[in-house]
Amino acid sequence: MPKKHPVGFDRRDVLKQIATVTGAAPLSANVLGATAAVATVAVQADSASAQGSATAAPSPAGYQSLGPDEAAFVEALVNVMCPADHLTPNGVDCGLATFIDRQLAGGYGQGKNLYRRGPWKKGKPQFGYQHPLTPEQFFKAGITAVNAACKARFGKEFDALAPQDADLFLRDLSAGKVTDPRVPLGEWFNELAYPLFVQACFADPIYGGNDGKVFWRMVGYPGLPATHAHDMVEFRGKPFPAARDPKSIADFS
Amino acid sequence: MATRLDKRTVVIVGGGLTAALVARQVTAKGTDVLLLERGYDRRKSAEAKLPSQRDELRWDTRGGLGQDWAVETYTVRHSSNEEALPARRLGAFLPGEGLGGAASHWNGFAWRWAEYDPTLRSRFESRYGAKAIPRELLIQDWGVTYAEMEPYHHLFEKLYGLSGKAGNINGTMIPGGNPFEAPRRDEYPQAPLQPTEAGLIFKAACDKLGYKAFIAPSGNSSGPYTNPDGMKLGQCQYCGHCEKFICEAQAKATPETLLYPVLAQRKNFEIRMQCRVTGVDYDKDSKRATSVRYVDMITGTEYEQPADVVVLAAFTMSNTKFLLLSGIGRAYDPVTGEGVVGKNFCYQTNSGMNVFTKDRWINPFLASGSTGTTIDEFNNDNFDHSGLGFLGGAGISANLTNGRPIGSRRLPPGTPRWGTAWKQASADWYAKSFSLQAQGSSYPHRENYLSLDPDYRDAHGEPLVRITFDWRENDMKMSEYCTGKMEEIAKAMDATILGPASPRRAPFDTRQYQSTHVTGGTPMGADPKTSVVSQRLQHWDAQNLFVVGASVYPHNSGYNPTAFLGALALRLGDDLNGYIERPRML
Repeated sequence: MPKKHPVGFDRRDVLKQIATVTGAAPLSANVLGATAAVATVAVQADSASAQGSATAAPSPAGYQSLGPDEAAFVEALVNVMCPADHLTPNGVDCGLATFIDRQLAGGYGQGKNLYRRGPWKKGKPQFGYQHPLTPEQFFKAGITAVNAACKARFGKEFDALAPQDADLFLRDLSAGKVTDPRVPLGEWFNELAYPLFVQACFADPIYGGNDGKVFWRMVGYPGLPATHAHDMVEFRGKPFPAARDPKSIADFS
Repeated sequence: MATRLDKRTVVIVGGGLTAALVARQVTAKGTDVLLLERGYDRRKSAEAKLPSQRDELRWDTRGGLGQDWAVETYTVRHSSNEEALPARRLGAFLPGEGLGGAASHWNGFAWRWAEYDPTLRSRFESRYGAKAIPRELLIQDWGVTYAEMEPYHHLFEKLYGLSGKAGNINGTMIPGGNPFEAPRRDEYPQAPLQPTEAGLIFKAACDKLGYKAFIAPSGNSSGPYTNPDGMKLGQCQYCGHCEKFICEAQAKATPETLLYPVLAQRKNFEIRMQCRVTGVDYDKDSKRATSVRYVDMITGTEYEQPADVVVLAAFTMSNTKFLLLSGIGRAYDPVTGEGVVGKNFCYQTNSGMNVFTKDRWINPFLASGSTGTTIDEFNNDNFDHSGLGFLGGAGISANLTNGRPIGSRRLPPGTPRWGTAWKQASADWYAKSFSLQAQGSSYPHRENYLSLDPDYRDAHGEPLVRITFDWRENDMKMSEYCTGKMEEIAKAMDATILGPASPRRAPFDTRQYQSTHVTGGTPMGADPKTSVVSQRLQHWDAQNLFVVGASVYPHNSGYNPTAFLGALALRLGDDLNGYIERPRML
């Protein structure tokens, strides 16, 4: 599993250590870029040896859409929203950041199936997304605005917040209590970032999230192939044994 | 300049359910039929094959089977004094695109409507008096009776191999069926589907309260079936990937499974796919449709296709759009109440609530698209509305259709939206919860209508259809009442936790999927002042132009719309055979 990190991995710590070694006290974008890449490679090597028997086909390492700073934000976000606990590994280890990256880089993020002709006007929330930006661009505008709000409130960016602070901040964000002069942050979180998080958890693992079908196992969703004409009767009202070992698209490909 | 093609006898716009049924009847008489469909045949593509068919993100969350909003969407506003905005990625409903249309990704609920539905205005006036219908509700009779439609319902059900339990055979009430069912000549072609655990819980609660729950009629095939045309259905596998998906197992009755393969064998039938219709040429002097305009989406070539008879059989919005773009008939004006095209736009007034039962394994993934257990006591006019202050009603059901984990994970009220507690609640309740639904009628309101948007255009430069719609007082009162009845049933279930019972309230939200049951815009009727097409679906201003689809419904019932469409389309096919023999106002 190339993108695995050991449980408890903290990108910021790794970055700090490397930054100390290289003597770059305030992390510039360039240094972050270089170090993030190093960190990813190092962790992958470690993880690949630790996880010899991967169940699903490995997806290529690295991010397609997110730069290192953006990746640090998304990784922090998914680790706050999905902490390592008795139910799953942390969000990064579940592939959630990879999922979000792939969605932003793919058709969805690039505006597939999205009507993008003007004129552009603000409307009632019930009329939905009205931004000229692609979802990928809007997502990244949101990262910048969220980080600015974090800096104003905590003196540091989102990925540097303590988990409890980050969690409380996200609650305020989802309640529309964090504002930005240009980016509607409540909408950004509730209608773009949050759905991507949920999809990352529960979509088929071919999209990079739900690594090892961990969320399907967690809830007991059996996945494919789902030919249940007999199960429908035999297991009506009873625990369904195959829910313990779900099957995904890759298992039949 | 469009290339003019040789004239064809019948040209049908749209490749969905109604088009196939009309073509079946007409081609059977040897008549030449050409059908134009904007999408493609997906039967051999990822949409309809394992394992890619079982992909919630691709087909459900991202709406991979529906109309491409980047090409064409709708603008929406809540009232005519607002400026409409485009729904840039519409969530509320899913027009189809491709062979089979929206009938490819339907659930399979296949109701005959109430016996009184086609004569609803007369029913209300006779039961509650002439003043019972508020002025703003444009409820009208359809110009047909249920008895006239019954033979076509019968044929449609045989073609589709419906599974269900009759409640009323020729006036004799049958235990186990719907006691409010319109009289039918015989049993359903197949036995009902298996009930879900949720359905059993629902039925037990209904039994306690004295309501007669039954298994809903379905186009998910309860067993193997061969229809009168020799086409086969396999047994439904309760795979939980039905509505919003194409069945890979030939176990859901759809046009591309049962109807188009038959048509493909007929030499007088031609279908051109990836051909996008842009309008109908209309000769005002002779009051005739002369040809259909379309763009070949592979070559980009524009064509003019002359025809003796034109049938608009596209999705609800598209039928209305073609008439408005082509200037056929007078557009509806909500200020004066005059004009008809775009009028009687209705939706489906739905509400729901979640039920959590810690001691019962619901296994939501063991489900077909229409494994529903239902009561009809509070649907439409099945109960006395005297003194209630509204008209209409809702079927109340435990329709468990899937356990797809992105969209169908129910969480108790107050659950955090992320974190360990969120995960724990998902783990605790995923397999032990279900929802109840109240699927309600939607009655035409003078302020709910379709028109062409003055500002926004589709990728081909044509104006978008503008939807002016909101939930209005009558339907919201109905939803309040029926949602209360649903809650009473839920309270009789010994559930661990009940979610909130939230009636449908304004404002209409385009973001959330509610139902694809949008109807009206080209209403049928016996009076040209209040209808676009006659009771025979013939355009009042162009006798060789016919319109079929949910766009002809003057109102929407508390039942799913498909089966009535099937009956109307088969009848239109027979009518066209008579018209072609002797063209006239039918």
